[in-house]
Amino acid sequence: MGGVLVRPIILTVFIYLFLKFIVPNLPHSAPLPSSLIFLYLMLTTAGIVIFATLSGASKDAFFGPIFRFLTGESGGALSSARYLVLALFPLLVGWQTYGSTASSDAPPGENRTIHPAPPGEYTGLSNPVPKTLDNINYGKGLYASRCSPCHGNFDGKGFAAAGFTPPPANFKDPTTIAMLQESYLFWRIKKGGVGLPVEGMPWKTAMPRWELEMSDEDIWKVIMGEYDGAGQKPRTWDESE
Amino acid sequence: MARVRRPGTSWWVGAVGLVGLCVAAEVQPAYSQQSVSVRAALVKGTLPADDPTAAAWATAAVSEFPMSPQVHWPVRITDVTAKSVKVRGLHDGTTVAILLEYSDPSEDPDDAAALEFMVGDTKAHFAHGQPMAQVEGGPVNIWYWKNKDGKGADLGAKGFGTLKPHAHQDVKAKGVYQGGVWKVVFSRPLSTEHVADDTQFKPGTFASIAFAVWDGKKMETGLPKEKGSEKAISSWWYFRADAPPDYSPYMYALLAVALALGFELVLVRRLKKGS
Repeated sequence: MGGVLVRPIILTVFIYLFLKFIVPNLPHSAPLPSSLIFLYLMLTTAGIVIFATLSGASKDAFFGPIFRFLTGESGGALSSARYLVLALFPLLVGWQTYGSTASSDAPPGENRTIHPAPPGEYTGLSNPVPKTLDNINYGKGLYASRCSPCHGNFDGKGFAAAGFTPPPANFKDPTTIAMLQESYLFWRIKKGGVGLPVEGMPWKTAMPRWELEMSDEDIWKVIMGEYDGAGQKPRTWDESE
Repeated sequence: MARVRRPGTSWWVGAVGLVGLCVAAEVQPAYSQQSVSVRAALVKGTLPADDPTAAAWATAAVSEFPMSPQVHWPVRITDVTAKSVKVRGLHDGTTVAILLEYSDPSEDPDDAAALEFMVGDTKAHFAHGQPMAQVEGGPVNIWYWKNKDGKGADLGAKGFGTLKPHAHQDVKAKGVYQGGVWKVVFSRPLSTEHVADDTQFKPGTFASIAFAVWDGKKMETGLPKEKGSEKAISSWWYFRADAPPDYSPYMYALLAVALALGFELVLVRRLKKGS
């Protein structure tokens, strides 16, 4: 198909593989949405076309093989590939058109923020209860009776967890209480699911509003017991700075 | 006479066929998706709105949802009988019927079940539409059935302690107990005149739905095992009454294929002329 096209094709494939399989595995990264990958590939293609058409000679060298391929002048195995491309292109267009016009069978997507920002009065509070073994054990006792039905053995797998969506938090998971300050937990336990802002979708969560049934001091003790039982440490100001 | 085949023809025909199969697979309805929603298919003919055992229910897609003991607010319960509910839905364009099916070792007069819906576009907490601190919540519409009543009740709530029957009773329900399983069918017109109280079903649009089940088995205390807030519950899932079939996306796709083919023909012809 002309050696001039080999490098752009390799470059495009490499960028796709990089975005699809390598970027998600980089530290603090996440899988890219397909729309973003598509956008990057379009930018890559546009860049390749601009580069290839900078001069008349490079333009001919770039488009010549493509034109010969499309008109069937390349011959050999490429003429079979030509039929394939000519058949697949309309099918792809039809498929995309169907996908963008057909109604979806999937329920609406939910962009629920798992750890929304707390109200200002709950930012940076420090636990006023002395961290003694007695207080930790007292907190663990409260946890066992009040929290473990849903949060289980600090793993989010309590006997009452199954019916709730979103599921109860798993405190052993490093993305839950280990990355939060004690003041954040105090807010979430005290005000419960109904205390969440709109981005937290408070109408879905089963977390009770414990301020109606526990004193502030007991809530702080539960937090101590929770961190100790889950084998986690709260995030502190020093670490977050 | 031996057939003369163009070189390479067979494999590209196979490849196109493969793509066709992929397209066909993509077009199949996703009934087998994991249960996050109940889909009520549109049926022609009689809707089994008052018969939980009707053969028509076997044609309806089934979704299963886990149930939890109600531990969200006092009075709590730690062990409930119903661990999950199977749910099916059907509608005929006018009335919607929802079948709830769950295991219960004994038939008791106080056995009961309920469906809950949000009303209008306002989000409501699954626990009786209780107020939320930073979000203005809306009411919930609860369809309730109790074995000894033998009928459905149309209720509304906006917070704990506010549950009460609507002045207008639009919901029907009937339960049948067979072999350790309750089958309870609820039905109501898709839309009602009471838009402030009743959930309105617009075919093709997803609504929020939640479930509750009470095992009314009488205990030594003389009280039912599960009663009031001591019940098996779920939080919100989705419900949709399917819209009538819409074939326009296939027409648009065919038009797009024709246009793309035309574009290819013109392009190749012009390129050939140019060369």
